[in-house]
This record gives sequence, structure tokens and C-alpha cells, in this order.
Amino acid sequence: FRACSMSRVFFYFFEILKYILPETMPSYKLTYFDTQGFAEVSRQLFALSDTPFEDNRLPREEWPEYQKCTPFGKMPVLEVDGQKLPQSFAIARFLARKFGFAGKTEWEQAWVDALGDQFKDYLNAFLPFFRVAFGTATGDLEAMKKSDGEPIRDNFFGILEKQAKDNGSTGFLVGSSLTWIDLIVADHMGVVEYHLPHFLDGFPEVQRVRRNVIETPKIKEWLEKRPERPY
Amino acid sequence: MPKYTLHYFDMRGLGELCRQIFALAEVDFEDKRYDMEKEWPAFKSQTPFRQLPVLEVDGKFIPQLYAHCRMLATEHGFAGKTPFDAAWVDAIADQHKDFYWGDFKKFWWRALDAAEGDLVHEELKTKFGIPERDKFFPLIEKQLTETGTGFLVGDSVTWADLLISEHVSVIVRVVPGFLDAFPETKKHAEKIRTIPQIAKWIERRPVTAH
Repeated sequence: FRACSMSRVFFYFFEILKYILPETMPSYKLTYFDTQGFAEVSRQLFALSDTPFEDNRLPREEWPEYQKCTPFGKMPVLEVDGQKLPQSFAIARFLARKFGFAGKTEWEQAWVDALGDQFKDYLNAFLPFFRVAFGTATGDLEAMKKSDGEPIRDNFFGILEKQAKDNGSTGFLVGSSLTWIDLIVADHMGVVEYHLPHFLDGFPEVQRVRRNVIETPKIKEWLEKRPERPY
Repeated sequence: MPKYTLHYFDMRGLGELCRQIFALAEVDFEDKRYDMEKEWPAFKSQTPFRQLPVLEVDGKFIPQLYAHCRMLATEHGFAGKTPFDAAWVDAIADQHKDFYWGDFKKFWWRALDAAEGDLVHEELKTKFGIPERDKFFPLIEKQLTETGTGFLVGDSVTWADLLISEHVSVIVRVVPGFLDAFPETKKHAEKIRTIPQIAKWIERRPVTAH
């Protein structure tokens, strides 16, 4: 319970500070495991916008205790001046809207959201095969690749390939500037290719989006300094 | 006002949330319903992700239920009054999605069509229905207790209220007593359904099994 009561203290501290100094920038703390996973998109949004944040990477053994004071029993959790927000996409969208990476119009924002949710559906279907590929589950990798990995990949990356092309082959999935869906896709591709080299070679437009993301100076800088983890 | 068409099957299912947002906002829309066998195959290739529901706005499509519902709700003031509130609406909706499409589904899809004395149904309820219910609905109870407003986020109705109350009202009908340990959740669902625009929609919507 120490973790929970500390964050209460933190919250009240910032309420008082906000009263004294109404124009201060909010303080951000992002808590997740020490992996990229579902927190990486938000870390990259902080990097892109040059916004300082506490990158709280929780050791596995501290998770059972910390879990008790999370809103939904899961991570990541974002704290904004001590106020908590769960769910990785709610967090990413909140930060992206604040920092200008959510899409420039209502329509673009809706399309970014749609691709984000489609990615989530794809990942849920893809993970049983992918876990075998990165070694946290057992199975016949080659058989599962043919029965699951490839068809599921082709279905989703086919959608992305068309989207990137219809968007003018600009290196952005939606609109004419970086959005959080570009970051999610690029990060995921990096993780896939690390464990399954050449698995995503057949999608040149999406590869263009990925190159665009990793060559963006602030992302490049972040990628160079972040802890390297397998996923 | 743009011309809206919601494309979905002839059921409440994943189309109901969008229809309720239109009802709440008092915005006209074409409620296009496809026969799964006879009409859907022909339309499928015209949709961006080969899935329904899809919302058509002045001839252009937005797929993915939450994406187009969030857009509509935001436009009409039902997505939370501040950016942080809007993020909490999103978080509750995503948590419900994880619950609904996770292990709960193994019980729920059977429950929707179960006959009296269906033993497999009882087995699935014990193995999946009850444990998953007991992970998700305490979060809803807590949220309602914390806001104290009768709404899940802030002090006014959001699309999270529509999403949760619709599912709860079906659970209460299909599995009587299943949510008795969650009084705030049941009260919330009853209250949302009495909002005049929602009550009117419920009265006039096509009656379908799901």
C-alpha cells in the first residue's frame, strides 16, 4: 500500500503547486514493465514533443504490489500531476492530441483511431504465433507461420500497404505528418523483424513509413538512448 | 449537416452504440442493415477493412466502431468535457473491449442462445463467465461510486455510459441475477435507458434477437 499512498501525497503536492503556479507544465510519469510493449508509443510521443517525463520501468517483482493501486489492474499507467490514466491507447491518444500527433482534422483523427484499433485486433490474432517466434510459448513455428502468421500478416499489412499508397506514398499512414499510428506500426515492425528477419519485406509502402519514423531526428535520438529490449 | 449512413447487420450488436449516439444527439442517419448471407458478401469488398460496422459520411467511410463513435460523440458533446475526461471515456471503453472479447466471450456467446438446462452453458459460466465478470464489473462499480454523478465519467452522459448500459441491460435479461452483486452498475443501466432520447430510440428500434 505504500506505493498507493505515496501517489496520493504526490497528487496533493501538485494540486497545491498548481494553485501557487497556475502556468506550470504538468508533470508526467509513465509506469510500465522494462520493455517496449504497449508503452513505447507514449514514450516516443514524449520524445517527439521534447516533453520531460519519468520513464518508470517497474521490475517484475514489484508488479504484484504496484498492481493494487492501478485503476484497472494493468499497465501502462500514465500519471498527469498525480492523476492516473490507464489503457495504452487512451494514454497514447491523450498525449498525441496534446502534442499534435493525433491527426490534423477530426476525420484524420478518426482514421488514425481506426487503424489503431485494427492494429490491436491484428495483434491479438498474431500473438499466439508471435510468442512462439520470440520464445515465450512453445509450438511448431514453421507450421504456425503457414497457418496463422502469414495469413494474419497479409490481411493486416495489406490494409496498411493500401492505406500508405492511397495516402500518396508520403511515408505517413494518415495525413501529411507523423501520427501515433505511424509510431505504433514502426515499433511493431522493428520487434517483428528482430525475431523474424525478412518477414515484412513484402510491404514496401509500410517499410517507407517505418524508415520515415526511425529517421525522424527526435525518434532517432530516442532509439539511440533507450534501453534495448527484445519486445 | 453531413449525410450519415451506418452500415451494419440487422441486429443491435456492434451497431447499437453508434445508433444510440445518433439518437442522443438527435441527428438523422440512414440505418442500413445487411442480411449476412444475401447482401453482405457483395458489399464487403467496398468497405475499407472488409468488416462492419462502417460509418459513411458524405460518401466516405470510417471503419472500426470506436473510431467512428468517438468522432460522432466528440462532435456532439458526449465524449467528456475535458481532454483528461475524454481519455477516461476511452480507457473504460477499451477495458470493456478487453473484457468482452477475452475469455468472457466463451461464456457470453453461448449464453445468448442457451436453452433452459444447457449444461455446457453452466460449465462455461463457472469457468469463464463468473471469473471474468468479477474482474471487470468491480471496476465499473468503483468508477460509479467515485464519480457519484450517476455517470461513468464526469457529470454528464458520454458514449462510455451508452456502451456499458447497453451490454448490462442485455446481461440482466439473458442471465437473470448475474449482476446482482453490482447494484450501482444495474442502477446506472436503468438510468441511462430513461434518458428521453435513448428511451425513444429503444421504443422504436427494430426488435432483433441480438
